[in-house]
Order: sequence, then structure tokens, then C-alpha cells
Amino acid sequence: MTKVVILNQGVIASVIGPTGPEQRRLANKVMEEALNKASLSFSQITYIVSTGYGRINVPFSDKQFTEITCHAKGIIHLFPKARTVIDIGGQDVKGIKIDGSGKILDFVMNDKCAAGSGRFIEVIADTLGVSLDRVGELSLRSRSPAKISNICTIWAQQEVASSLAEGVAVEDLLAGVHQSLAERIVRMVSRLKVEPSVIVTGGGGMNRGLIKALSEQLGQAILVPEAPLLTGALGAALMGKEIVEKARKSHTVLETRERILEEIEVL
Amino acid sequence: MAEEQKEAKPKKRMTATKAAATIGPMVKEFITGTLQARAEGKQKLAYTFIVCHHEEIFRALDVIPIWTENFAGVCGAKRDAERFLQRAESLGLSRSLCTYALCGIGFDQWREELGQMPPDAPWGGMARPDFMISSGQILCDPRSKWYQASQQFMPDVPIYNIDLPYPLFQRNQDHRDVWEYYHKYIVKQLRGLVSFIEEQTKKKMDYDRLRELVDLSDRTWNLIEETYDLRKAVPCPMGTGDAMNTMVPINFMMATQKAYDFFLDLKKELEEKIAKGEGEVEDEKYRLMWGGGLPAWYALNDFNYFNSKGASFPVETTYRMVAPLHQMDLPETKDPIEHLAWRWLGYWTFWYDRAKKRPDSEPDVERLINRIEEYKIDGVVMHEAFSCRTWHVGLIWQLHHLAKIYKPIPLYVVGKDGRKEKVYRELPSLILESDIIDMTSYSELDTRNKIDAFIETLESVRMNKAA
Repeated sequence: MTKVVILNQGVIASVIGPTGPEQRRLANKVMEEALNKASLSFSQITYIVSTGYGRINVPFSDKQFTEITCHAKGIIHLFPKARTVIDIGGQDVKGIKIDGSGKILDFVMNDKCAAGSGRFIEVIADTLGVSLDRVGELSLRSRSPAKISNICTIWAQQEVASSLAEGVAVEDLLAGVHQSLAERIVRMVSRLKVEPSVIVTGGGGMNRGLIKALSEQLGQAILVPEAPLLTGALGAALMGKEIVEKARKSHTVLETRERILEEIEVL
Repeated sequence: MAEEQKEAKPKKRMTATKAAATIGPMVKEFITGTLQARAEGKQKLAYTFIVCHHEEIFRALDVIPIWTENFAGVCGAKRDAERFLQRAESLGLSRSLCTYALCGIGFDQWREELGQMPPDAPWGGMARPDFMISSGQILCDPRSKWYQASQQFMPDVPIYNIDLPYPLFQRNQDHRDVWEYYHKYIVKQLRGLVSFIEEQTKKKMDYDRLRELVDLSDRTWNLIEETYDLRKAVPCPMGTGDAMNTMVPINFMMATQKAYDFFLDLKKELEEKIAKGEGEVEDEKYRLMWGGGLPAWYALNDFNYFNSKGASFPVETTYRMVAPLHQMDLPETKDPIEHLAWRWLGYWTFWYDRAKKRPDSEPDVERLINRIEEYKIDGVVMHEAFSCRTWHVGLIWQLHHLAKIYKPIPLYVVGKDGRKEKVYRELPSLILESDIIDMTSYSELDTRNKIDAFIETLESVRMNKAA
């Protein structure tokens, strides 16, 4: 997903759009949508920070930061007592340890395997014919979560399909899938010595079943932002704001890109 | 089969020193030299492993070592290991085994099947050995199993195994209480190796020559230590990227005048760079330590990427397989074989006494702490190569233990009563994950994303410290 947050004293517009292979064109499109929503012209935007895997593919961004830094910044803004951030995205999962000012102390990432990311749930939900937004709620009805033993997404998909054929209830399978993913995430973030408050962000934050499984396995209460998909973009906007404020204080002229949203031809 | 396909040629890595830039041609010359020797048939060639302290014996008996790990590394660096790995897999060997061994076994099987080198073999290929010297040492299991597997395709090539143990660290025990037993055993092993090579070469060992070669190695050891110590300078004149080149004379050319001269030149070059204030990085912002793990040979450009972010690597634990001899307190002996055995024990127990002085420390962690302090290190980077099991289980443990016992960064936080408190935290660390030569385990995008995030972490720690 491609997200935009426009910030002034507070958030004045936010948009979540698709990504896909045409990243540069979509960045333009989503930005345009956000500007329309905020009733602003592009030239009124003082500074633009991009983040995420596609951060270098945003043609109009003035500076780039990794999503680790931006998530930390976004989360500490929303939850001042946050010390551990778990970002569960479609492509990867990250654990970030932060201090009271949102500075990163340490981080871990799983970027090697779909089985440790939100993609795992997407694939299983598809196999079970359940829409992604219902997965969490449905799994909470489970009384006997299934044990998913395969750690490979493709094999787990086959395991779930065959369990379904054997009559295992969909909610039990989904609860099992959440437990399996939560186990992997907890194993990874344990490297960081998790401290409260623990915040889950990214698409995984919208899945109540996964949050429950994670909270049980971590032995910690978990907080989730109101719009978990937007914390990275919010953090990027906050980073931009900080840069602008710092430059104003020191009377430095900031270098920015030309504010043009051009249609980019995609071959 | 896809094995005929070669990967795209990697972008050349930029070296900081002229000396490091000479290593590529040096390795090529060495490999083509082994092929020429094979063709001429005047000298015996032997497969063997690095870090066995036996080079002097080889050279005194005019045997040319073929460093099989080196050849696998060359295949990796040239992004041409995949076809040999696939061949080993087609023999039923798992990809999760040591990929150096898989590459070598795949190559051997192919060469033996064809009766000539596989097509377009890197730098002409790896010559067929006359014998193989394996090593049943604690370091890693492929050192004893690899050649047994290769022998299936070369049944006429004999294997001789040397066992090289050392006393493991025990906090409540002085390793010197038992090391004479180890010494006696290792001496016996090395004498057995001499007899085996004498039999293979039909030559008698010239012990005066051996003594000279051991002396040359000892002098080279001390010279390397002095040379690498120069990297403590700020800015650092040479980083780990270059050290992954200069490891060649340390590990493949010991007991040669060429290795000694190489380090004389490198030392001079570093001294000149320091005098001019020239660093590996133009504007050095962070000093990192490569805290272990063999590198991803096909991705050495990542060191340049670190450099582009202002990060230099003044020190690494990988391949620095020497230690200052004058600090070892080794028993005196005129017998070169006995000295080799003492040097072996001295090297592996080098950090034991220091580790005992720090509560809860361990030798490998003590080494990290000493390097961090001596080289003014801001962060530690390690590489968890999935196929190198022996090393990397230990690496993660080392990092955890380091974080537990060593917290050098002062930070100010707001305490429970709302007052400012000074606390100490561990050094930031980054674990890169891929493999030594298996490129399928590597993603440049993900690796560089991690590096970017790590640099941002270092920046944030620095800002905290400044605050």
C-alpha cells in the first residue's frame, strides 16, 4: 500500500492507496488525492519525506528515511510511553526498541520469509475463502485453535487446505494461523528484550485475532493506533516537520525538489 | 541444466589501499600457478584448509597447497558458484550444508566426470590434487568430511587427517594446567603429517629450512599485528572491505617472503595515509567493527555502501588469524614442530586470561570488547551465513553476551521521579543474513534497507549522547 500524511499543526489529510509495480506513478496519484482532500496545491507543501521499501521511487521527495525511523517517530508521537514497536506488514515484520524521545535503540527485521509476515495470513485467508477484514474477528470465535506445524507459507497453505477437508472449523484454523505467526514474531522480537508499552502497527494491527495471540505469547498488553497503516507515513511527516523547524531556527534554506506531479510513463 | 549459466559479473568493489587492489591478480596468479604446476608434474599439490598452522611443513617439503575454501570463495566473488552448488545438490547433498564444501564437491565431481576442467571454470579451475590434508579440529565439521565426500570421485587420491584440538575455556581452570597434554598430542599429529608428506613426495624434511620458514611466519605474524594496529587511527586508513582482500596473504601465503613483503608495503602505505590524514571514508562519521561471520563474497560492494554513509570498519575479527607472539608467553623450543604446536595453542587461548579478569566474560566476547575499546567502535556488524553452522550459532550468542556484560553508551533518561538519570546501554548491532557464496539467500534491497536503518540508529544514538 502507498500512504500519504499531510501535516501542519496536526494531520490535515491522509490517504491509503494501492502500490504494485508502477510505484512512481502511484506515488504521484496518491499524492494528488491527498492534496485534493486537504484542498492544497502542491506548491504549498513545505517539505516531503518518503519512507518504506519504495522510498527511493517517490520522484518528488526531498529526503528519505527508513520505515524503522519513521515508525518509531510516528508511534512515540501517538504513544509517548511506547518502548517497543512491532510493525507487521505484508512484506516483512520489524521489531523496534525506542527510548522516550522516539530514538531507535535497536531493531530486528524478518525480510527473508513470507511465513513471518502479514502475507502468511493473506495467503491462508485466500485459501479459506475468508476476506482479510473478517479474519481477526472470526478467529476469536475459536475454542480449539488448530496446530499449524509447517513454517513455509506454501506448505502451511496445503496443510490448512487438507485440515479444512478433514472438517476442522475455519475459526480454529485461523486461530492456529495467528498463533503460528505470533510465535514467529515473538521469537524474533525477543532478541530486543521487549519492554512496555508494546505497540503493534502496520496491517497486522488491524487483526484482533493476531493481536490477541501476540499479547498472550508476549505476556504483555498490546496497544494499537487508531490508523495502524498510517504510522510510518505519519512518522515521515513528523521527520519532515522537524527538519523544517530546525532549518527555520538556524535560518538555513532547505533544498527541495520541484513541486510537480507528472504522469510517468510506465513501460 | 541451469548449471551452464553464469551470473552477471559483479560491480567491482573499490579498495581504499593500493595493496588491497593487488590481491585479485595475486590470487589469480596463485590459482593459475597451481594449474601450471599440475601440468608440469614436478611438484606435488595438496588440497587443504586454512588456519591449520601447517603451511611451513608444506613449503619445506615443496608441496603446493590448494586452498579449497579459497577456490569456493573465488567462485562466490565471481558470482559463479551456483552451477557447482546445483551439481552438488544433484548428487543428493543438501543446500543447508557448508556451501564452500558443496561448491568444492560439485566442482570435483564435474572435473572428474569430464576428465578436464568444467567449462569456463573460474580462473582456470581448481587443480586435481595428489593428496588431501583434512583437519579434525574444533573449528568446523566440513574440515574432516568434505574431502571424504570428494574422494568418492577421486578414489586414488589419499587423505591424511590432522587433529588440532585446544583446551576449551573454563573460568575456574588455568588452561596451562592441561596444555602440555594437548601440545604432546598436536606435536604427534604434525610429525605424522611430516611422515605422510615425506612418503608422498619421496623427500626428507629439511629441519633447518623448516625452522627458517617458521621464523619467517612468526615475523610475519608480528608484522601483521603491527600493520593492523595502524587502523586504530582516526580517520581509519583501511577498512574491513580491504581486509577481506588482505586476508589472502594471512591465510593462503603464510611462510612465504611474498606475504612478509606484502605487509611491509601495506604498513608503509598505511603510515603514509595516516600522515596525510587520509581515511577509508572521506568524512568518517561512524567506526564499525565486523564482529564475525565470513562475508558474503558476492556482495563485498556492501562495504562500499557502508562507506558511502560515512561508516568505516577499522577492525574485524574475521580472518585476523594472528596474534602478537610476544604476548603469548610460549615455552621456548628449538624444534620447529614443537613451536608450531605451541603457537597453535597460544593463538587459540590468547584471550583466556583477559576474559577471566572481567566478570562473566568469555574469550570471544573479551576479544570484541578489547577491539571496541582499542579501535573506538560505534557499532558492531555481524554476518549470519546460514550454511556456516559452527561459527554462526556462536556469533548470535556472542552478540547477546556482549550486550549483557558490556554497556558503554551513557544516556540520559527521565527517571520515575521526573528527574534526569544517567543510564548505560549496549552498543548498537546489526546482523546481516545471507550466505558466504549462495546468492539465492541474498537480497541487496533488504540488506541495504537494514544498513540504512542501522545508520539511522547510530545517528540517533549519537544525537542522544550529544544531548
